[in-house]
Amino acid sequence: MMYRLPPQPGEWLDRSTALEFTFEGRTFSGYAGDTISSALAAAGLPYLARSFKYHRPRGLLSYANHDSNALFQVDGVPNVRGDVTPLAHGMRVTAVNTFGGLERDKARLLGRLGAFLPVGFYYKAFHSKRWFPRWERMFRVLTGLGTVSLAAPRLQTPKRYAHCDVLVIGAGPSGLAAALEAARQGARVALVDEAARPGGGAFGRVASAAGEREALAALARELRDTPQVEYLPGTVAVGYYADHWVALAEPTRLTKVRARAVVCATGVIEQPAVFRNNDTPGVMLASGALRLIARHGVAPGRRVVIVAANAEAYEACLELKARGVEVAAIVDFRAPADAAAADAAAGDGAAACAAAGVRVVAGHAPYAAVAGADGALRALEYVPIDVHGRIAAGAAQRIDCDAVLMSVGWAGAAQLALQAGATLRYAPELQQFVPQDLPAGTFVTGRLNGIYELAGRIADGRRGGAAAARFAGASGEFQGAFDAAPGAAAHVMRCPSHPFPIVDHPLGKNFVDFDEDLHIKDLENAAREGFDSSELLKRFSTVGMGPSQGKHSNLNALRILARHLGVTVGSLGLTTARPMVQPVPLKLMAGRSFQPERRTPLDALHAAAGAAWMPAGNWRRPEYYARAGETRAASIAAEVAAVRHAVGLIDVGTLGKIEIYGPEAGEFLDRVYAGNYADLAVGMSRYALMLDEAGVIIDDGVVARLAPDAFYFSTTTGGSATVFRELLRWNALWGLDCALVNVTGHRAAVNFAGPKSRAILEGLTDIDLAPSRFPFLGVREGQVAGISARVLRVGFVGEWGYEIHVPASGIPAVWRALLAAGAAHGIRPFGVEAQRVLRLEKGHLIVAQDTDGLTDPIQANALWAVSARKRFFVGGRSLAILRQRPPRQVLVGIEIDAGATVPKECHLIIERGEIAGRVTSITTSATLGRTIGLALVAPALAAPGSRLTIRVDGGAIVAARVVPTPFYDPKNMRQRAEAS
Amino acid sequence: MSAVAAAGRTVAFERRHALALAGFKGPRAAEWAGLQGLPLPPAANRFARSADGGLLVARLGAAEFFIEAAAGGARIIAPLRAALAARPPGVYPVLREDWGFRLGGDAVHEVLAQVCNVDFAALTLSSMGVVMTLMVGVAVIVIPEAATAGGPDEARGGGRCYGIWCDPTFGAYLGEALKTVVEGGGGIIIGESK
Repeated sequence: MMYRLPPQPGEWLDRSTALEFTFEGRTFSGYAGDTISSALAAAGLPYLARSFKYHRPRGLLSYANHDSNALFQVDGVPNVRGDVTPLAHGMRVTAVNTFGGLERDKARLLGRLGAFLPVGFYYKAFHSKRWFPRWERMFRVLTGLGTVSLAAPRLQTPKRYAHCDVLVIGAGPSGLAAALEAARQGARVALVDEAARPGGGAFGRVASAAGEREALAALARELRDTPQVEYLPGTVAVGYYADHWVALAEPTRLTKVRARAVVCATGVIEQPAVFRNNDTPGVMLASGALRLIARHGVAPGRRVVIVAANAEAYEACLELKARGVEVAAIVDFRAPADAAAADAAAGDGAAACAAAGVRVVAGHAPYAAVAGADGALRALEYVPIDVHGRIAAGAAQRIDCDAVLMSVGWAGAAQLALQAGATLRYAPELQQFVPQDLPAGTFVTGRLNGIYELAGRIADGRRGGAAAARFAGASGEFQGAFDAAPGAAAHVMRCPSHPFPIVDHPLGKNFVDFDEDLHIKDLENAAREGFDSSELLKRFSTVGMGPSQGKHSNLNALRILARHLGVTVGSLGLTTARPMVQPVPLKLMAGRSFQPERRTPLDALHAAAGAAWMPAGNWRRPEYYARAGETRAASIAAEVAAVRHAVGLIDVGTLGKIEIYGPEAGEFLDRVYAGNYADLAVGMSRYALMLDEAGVIIDDGVVARLAPDAFYFSTTTGGSATVFRELLRWNALWGLDCALVNVTGHRAAVNFAGPKSRAILEGLTDIDLAPSRFPFLGVREGQVAGISARVLRVGFVGEWGYEIHVPASGIPAVWRALLAAGAAHGIRPFGVEAQRVLRLEKGHLIVAQDTDGLTDPIQANALWAVSARKRFFVGGRSLAILRQRPPRQVLVGIEIDAGATVPKECHLIIERGEIAGRVTSITTSATLGRTIGLALVAPALAAPGSRLTIRVDGGAIVAARVVPTPFYDPKNMRQRAEAS
Repeated sequence: MSAVAAAGRTVAFERRHALALAGFKGPRAAEWAGLQGLPLPPAANRFARSADGGLLVARLGAAEFFIEAAAGGARIIAPLRAALAARPPGVYPVLREDWGFRLGGDAVHEVLAQVCNVDFAALTLSSMGVVMTLMVGVAVIVIPEAATAGGPDEARGGGRCYGIWCDPTFGAYLGEALKTVVEGGGGIIIGESK
């Protein structure tokens, strides 16, 4: 059982500050500097978690956030990573994935049903349609990790961008050397590492050689003294995207870094040995145990056995002994001669351990871990193993222990390099994948590069840092070669990894993937079923798909598959590495959100007038103006009535507004719109329909001619940005002699409409408003309320009216002046809803409401807006083809039978049980005393007088008939001089 | 990359009102600008100032110009606008009603890093560069300024200052977003200059 040691040299704890917390309802204490995992370990609990599928008891495994044993629910936050999360006073911690608590987890019975839950069982079960709803409810309860609280507050974290010349990922010896060398070369350097302090796992060893300790200490000192290196501890590089764009997850924010060059000094990940019950609490990776003891003063156990296959195992033994931890034995996979030779090359660690009284049992492999009644480790069984990996199960021996540390090999932490586009090759001399080809600007150093000796790692770091700095454009001098032969034989003094640290057992439960509860038999069975490539094996078995994403399982899975197929590991290839390298809290991904919103210059005046706001694209607009004593419906009706009988004023500043100048401006408009504009008279305007190349309506507006070479035209509110971009694109292709100016935001506009509009405006403008001088569709420039204005006579709402366009800063004065002048005449400002009613009464369509992604002018009954004589316009050729065939649907006016339920937009028209169209616009018109609308219907139903049936909410049927449009003022009498 | 709120780091933000602005574009725009006696930026995406610093001329792309005159600049801008209204050949007026802001201080880059992906710290004043980019999703023009008397960083021992201009309909949103970021980092809002 783990326990707290007396203060250790260089530990990360502040033992003067005790922190109290609860775990599963019981109170424990730790110290400042502890992580959640280290504090729980020090508490000496038999186990800390339950596994995903079988709910087996689990303890710490990697102590590096490379497994899901240490995921906890903390203060309502799910899946907090205990290995890297600092302990805080008052934390309430519980295990995840339990039913009824960690100890009494009801689902632990699933462990006994293992025979019925083989790999991929869910693909072959649960297929009964009748039973599936029941299974689905069961899945929703049983699966997943952690509990999400629907009451959790939304946390905004400040995302940020950053820039540097060289980004170094990993602050171990080679990363430190790389960062310092790059800075020496003159580069702006950022250095990131997940740990709270630099140096990696090598730092803080008391038993390592004095020279090595000093070398590491010197690097740390130099880092402190080098301000050109921006050091970010507690930061994880989680994704490597194109052009050296890297996402960094810090505790409180996400940083998006753009670097000119990146050094991946991400090191290696220790791999577990695979043997029966290797998931027993007390069995963990040796590197994790060393981090635990050096940083937090927690011993892995009182009687430790080390499972070995490399020199690091013996270094771990000496480290434990130096700190007063008993090591009962080292069980070494390698034959005695091989072990001796390898360790002689690496500094005779075995001899030193033997001299320290540690029994070394070479040529033996772990066979099974034995747990006590409390679920914690009590002993290890081990067996002889020959050079071919054959074991003698009958010769098993047992040794009592409460901790087994596995030190059998490593896998490169190459995920980020792979995301960058690196390719790897399997180096048999290292039993590790190492870089083969790297993309320009990406560099790899240290153990990821296959270099294990400390001096070599530091030298390789300097090389990589200098090369990265040179790539980034720094111009310092570097004495050395920039290129490295990764994993070159010259660096390989001894192999750090066993080729097959995997021991089968007839009773199984020899775990390869601890996150997914997969043991050897699962992977072999998957291969036997034909899922015999790395990709298929992954997807069928889910190996590598848990929270650790294969960090501790992918390599052993490949070894098992390779042996089953009789091929080499290198021939199998790796699965695709994708972001995120580590799980990232959603609050960091969401971050502070920016939702651009546009407001017209009249926004404050609308608010003062009681505007009820609505979104219109990315604008906010008044839906209507609330008045005391009026319901919403009453306000809208009153606004409509004001326009029909007196005068109304609406802010139409959201319309797209574009100017076009130049000798070929008219020609350009003729090409991009369906109508004729080159022949438009100066001082007049014309409705404009814009089509795409398929002949589909994409926008509409009004084109006004200000001068022979100057036009001013509008677009829909939602289309302004898209239309402008499209127009720029067209002119880049055509190269016509004209220039486009987007003044959408810089000009404001109001529509002043109603039978009294002319009389009122006459008192505010120097423009001659006499109908003979300013006809319908005319455009004039002059002053309104002292502001320079363009005034258009338009009829969107069906009444005599003027659209007044002025520079944005001038519109408040115009608005106030019109309201003041109209006050005695019953003026009301009107909003979007009233405008919708008014235009619908006139039968005017709204693009993208009354049209869809396939509606052309034929279907929309808008051929009157299409030139019959132009040689070319965008969409013209498609329209000519479409004219040859009957339309798929037609836009018609409809009237709902009196007293019937009012349908909603998008309610379907049903004919003989089939969908025959839909309602696009609908309103109950007080002006007309009936409910009217527009609908897209099948051509057979489009004739005026046709009866329609509309299905409304709840399935009821409402009757309607097709009627001609416009509904209101069909002869346009309201635009005649007599009307104003 | 360290927090704005670190001891001694400051940032300040203000909105500028009553800007005197003009704009024009066209195939003969550069030639015309020279004829008007305007200081001519040497290349696209560069700016120039008059000798007394009262006039800023930014070249947006190859053939478009953005002009701002300092306080009292109506006497420069009004005739310019009148000349443009007369529509000289090959020169077309561009109405400018931009909102203007100023952001400065020795921690200004920490704020900018949260709202824009341009590496402003790498810009030098001497390059006279005009940055046209997106800031919190809004298209902006950003021009580095030397610290000036009355500017937001005047009393804070220097640091970089930036003029920021945007479409007026995005102005309220941009201002509120920048204020949120500045205040969140411990910076101050100076208010609005007249």
